[in-house]
Amino acid sequence: MIALDDVSKRYPNGTFALRDVDLRVDSGDFIFLVGASGAGKSTVIRLLIREELATTGRVVVDGEDVGRMPRSRVGRLRRKVGVVFQDFKLLPRKTVAENVAFALIVTGHEGRLVREETERALSLVGLTARRDHFPSQLSGGEQQRTAIARALVNRPRILIADEPTGNLDPVTSWEIIKLLTRVNDLGTTLVMATHNAEIVNALRRRVVHLDHGMVVRDEREGLYAA
Amino acid sequence: MSLASTFTVTLMLLLFAFFLTTDRGLQAAVSVLESKVEIALFLDGNAKVSEILALKARIEADPAVSRVEYVTKEQALKRLQDIADRRKDFVLATIDGNPLPSSLEIKLSDARQAKRFAEELRAEVGAGVVADVIDNPQVVDQLLTITRVLSVGGVAILAMMLFVALFVIVNTIRIAVHARRDEIEIMQLVGASDWFVRWPFILEGMLVGALGAVVALSVVFAASGPVTTAMLDFLVTLPISLGPEFAFQLAASVLGVALLVGAGGATLSVRAHLAK
Repeated sequence: MIALDDVSKRYPNGTFALRDVDLRVDSGDFIFLVGASGAGKSTVIRLLIREELATTGRVVVDGEDVGRMPRSRVGRLRRKVGVVFQDFKLLPRKTVAENVAFALIVTGHEGRLVREETERALSLVGLTARRDHFPSQLSGGEQQRTAIARALVNRPRILIADEPTGNLDPVTSWEIIKLLTRVNDLGTTLVMATHNAEIVNALRRRVVHLDHGMVVRDEREGLYAA
Repeated sequence: MSLASTFTVTLMLLLFAFFLTTDRGLQAAVSVLESKVEIALFLDGNAKVSEILALKARIEADPAVSRVEYVTKEQALKRLQDIADRRKDFVLATIDGNPLPSSLEIKLSDARQAKRFAEELRAEVGAGVVADVIDNPQVVDQLLTITRVLSVGGVAILAMMLFVALFVIVNTIRIAVHARRDEIEIMQLVGASDWFVRWPFILEGMLVGALGAVVALSVVFAASGPVTTAMLDFLVTLPISLGPEFAFQLAASVLGVALLVGAGGATLSVRAHLAK
């Protein structure tokens, strides 16, 4: 589903964000990307959704070479890859349902499909009752669930979560993690960058540890620290 | 969308409308005057009719010539008598014979060719057929200089105004883009196409342009009545009319330029944002 072949990312000032990274994620996998801030987790995520291009090496997502893809295809790539962030990135003047429907509308969908898919995503994250609330009226966990619903509404093959629990208290964090594992159980490949050792250690999923832009550890059923 | 940007676009379009109108009036004036540009070729009294007709045919073959008229000695005298009859202060002395030469009156279709053509004909003076060639080069030259200066100056000013208007639209749309940057970021994140992000802003740019066009055209058409009356004394010497057909062309051109500038400025602005 995801393949990074010998990928390096070097910034114009000469520093390497990633160095010779090889990574393979199969369909339906759940992986944790761990490592200190600046280790390269976010760079991997930006390469996967083509917010940045690799300096050398090949990034393949769902069979497509992301680096060679023309700009006009980037939209289609991103519909296959949902992303959730630490800061939720919700639109404050839209309701929960409108925020979720937004992802469908701006990708050219309309009418009944938008309504049905929005309701499906809202019920998946358990926010049907909150559909007409504005983000400012929601708790942090509810805001993140709205963001997850928006990321899932286009039925992506991959869900990427960049520190999804970074702004949440432990109890709420667990709610979000439970939701993400359920999404993974339903068949979506999951890549999650995190600093939350407790969650990584409890779940015992695959752990890819980055340090100074290099993969220093890749374990099945791994722990946060070696 | 600010008042200032609409105002700037309006000013640019007013200038454009003024330029178009002036240019159209000038073109009409030039073509009227051009049609009056003539070369008179006086014929040698000893030239044979066959030689004259051969020369006439040769002149007619030149693409710059629209019409050649052969005026005989008798016709020339008759014209002079006609003029004398109409004007009381003009008394024609009775003389023996006819001192007037026969001539070819050459009307040109292209006034710019007058100088060259007159030179060519003048080279034949003394060869037995052509006695003299009279043209009025200064008039033609001056007219053409004025037209050239006006069109070059007009295009330069217009280009400058166009640049200013484009700049203003780019900035207006940049503000609009900035105000919606979060929304744009999410649109791009969830996979909206560049076009989907772009078109609302292009529409907004075109709206600013269209608004400017409406204001500018209102001013132009409101002012056209009084201005025409004021200019009538000046224009009466020339048969120039800027009728409803021109008004339609003017409105279409102004609106077209406005929409183009609006869409173009917005496209530049959004492209700059998307490329980030």
